[in-house]
Amino acid sequence: MKLVFVLFILIQSLQCWAQSLVDGEISGNLEAQSRHSWNNQAAKDELMQDWDEEEFYLFYGNLNGKLNFKNSRFETNLFARHSQSDLYKDRYPSPPYLAPLLFSFPNKLVARDVFKLKHETGDDNSRTEYVLNKLYYEWDYDEHRFVAGRMYINYGLGEIFNPINPFNQPTGLTAISQIAQGNDGLNFTFYASEKHTIDYYFLGDKTLDGYENQIQKTLWIHGEYQFSNELQLDYVIGEDQNRLKLGGQFRYNFSEAMVFMQTLFQTDYTDDKESHPLFDVLLGYDQQLTNKWHIRAEAGYQKKNRFSGLTSINDRFLPTEYFIALANQYEIHPLLKLGGTIVNDIKTGFTYLIMRNTLDLGHNTEAEIFGYLPVAKGSGIENDAQKLVTTDIGVALRTFF
Amino acid sequence: MFKIFFRKDFVFCLALGANANNAQEWSKYAENQMRGAHSHSEIEMTIKTPNWERTLEINSDVEGKKLALSTITSPAKEKGIRTLRIDNNMWNYFPKLKRKVAVSSSMLLASWMGSDFTNDDVLKASSMAEDYQHKFLPNQKKSGVDFRVIENIAKSNSKVMWPKIITYASKVDCLPREYQYYDKQDQLKRILYLDDIKTFDGHKVPTKWVMQPQNDKDKKTTIIYKKMTFKTDFKASYFSHKNLTDY
Repeated sequence: MKLVFVLFILIQSLQCWAQSLVDGEISGNLEAQSRHSWNNQAAKDELMQDWDEEEFYLFYGNLNGKLNFKNSRFETNLFARHSQSDLYKDRYPSPPYLAPLLFSFPNKLVARDVFKLKHETGDDNSRTEYVLNKLYYEWDYDEHRFVAGRMYINYGLGEIFNPINPFNQPTGLTAISQIAQGNDGLNFTFYASEKHTIDYYFLGDKTLDGYENQIQKTLWIHGEYQFSNELQLDYVIGEDQNRLKLGGQFRYNFSEAMVFMQTLFQTDYTDDKESHPLFDVLLGYDQQLTNKWHIRAEAGYQKKNRFSGLTSINDRFLPTEYFIALANQYEIHPLLKLGGTIVNDIKTGFTYLIMRNTLDLGHNTEAEIFGYLPVAKGSGIENDAQKLVTTDIGVALRTFF
Repeated sequence: MFKIFFRKDFVFCLALGANANNAQEWSKYAENQMRGAHSHSEIEMTIKTPNWERTLEINSDVEGKKLALSTITSPAKEKGIRTLRIDNNMWNYFPKLKRKVAVSSSMLLASWMGSDFTNDDVLKASSMAEDYQHKFLPNQKKSGVDFRVIENIAKSNSKVMWPKIITYASKVDCLPREYQYYDKQDQLKRILYLDDIKTFDGHKVPTKWVMQPQNDKDKKTTIIYKKMTFKTDFKASYFSHKNLTDY
């Protein structure tokens, strides 16, 4: 199966190469980050995370290649990441330190995979990984588009929480940029009309049960329908990771602002494993207040999966069950953008402040100073993820080519 | 004889003919010259402050007053970012992440890539001829040149950013040389200077646009139209989501 798939991609690519080659392009980015982190007292006391302060270094980059043909293209992206921290120390039989998972979120670069296409090494104070997280061939024919390979699936308006898209993590709470998760399979897009687009996905997945087990399938439909100038509806339905899922997004565009809502319902596992249904809701508001000041508010509910452990940071991480978030971005100078997001758990009072200030250094280079500050602990915390949240200050330097 | 004809006392905008005393016609004429029915242009934008300068290159496609598609072609950081406008709806597309994002129409207000131009300017979302009512103000002389001055007041039902714009138009070619933008408090917020008129496919177009914000006179943004054509015949599906994501 794997061989057939790889051969198919290869043959199609070679055929295209033989056709009239239009252009090719190589692009990418490199980033270095350093952060100083202070541990959460609750993590030390209750979750065996016995460390106080730590330096964490992260280096990562993307190398993106693209070949454009007349009606098709071939694209690939190699993602490489090296991180250094004493918190990678193997403490077996004690549980591992979990903070590095947060610092390098999303730590999975492929959400649904059949092929590993990944090389990973590590020791007591570092991890290095190379992932081919995009490798696909795409061709257009009239009102259709067909994609085969490892692709990015990126839709949905949520920046902090985006429940209708299980194939890409929202990165609104992270200090990274230019990152997306790959998914292995096929995608057929049908542009039914100017107002209606339907995407069909057939994906394979070995991440759920491990590489030794059978391939799980994902059958997924995402549609978007523009009812009017102001109103757009997205719908999703399908089977993914052994659950049936149904949801949608409603977007209304006022002249001054945009409001949107998402819901996603997930049934119990379709096999006999222990599980329970999940239900997520998101409400959002987005407005450009002045030509330099942009605000985004998101409020939502993510039903806690009581069958998942702390390491489900891998899967869907939001350190609150109920949350309200306000994100501001202000351009103080063409060179300097100030960003601040405050996330509050309306049930426990847990409050988290994120600052990301970006300074353009010119020549395709920028610096970022970021901070992650849990400013209120909250009371009666039931969500262990809140106990894990560390206090971090860091700086990043990134360049694009 | 030729010189006499073009002396300032005799200069009269022949292009408008009998409509030369109608302010609405002046605006319509300028818009038809500069926008046409559809156009493709290659633009260089330079944002300049006393100690910093940044240049972007953009391809801009416009069809009528409702459809626009812009693509950043340089620098590397933003290369490939596209913006599609259909009526008042806007979508940004980030090809490196394959992410299409619907943006609030209030984003038309937003500064475009840190410049002094807004999304509204770049995507040509508003129409001076259709969204404003026009009347002549007394002629004015600036740097020895006589200008026809037109006051443009936003119509009550139009969704535009600027309630009042004053146009200074050349009496020679009827094209604007200066736009002054006023906010709701009737404060002058920015001035757009237009210069270096060139002809593309029979359309006279100012190819140098300099936007000068009034609250920060050390800063300015210059647009240079490097290439422009009005003969582009866009396919019906050009301004579509499929084409937006085809990059």
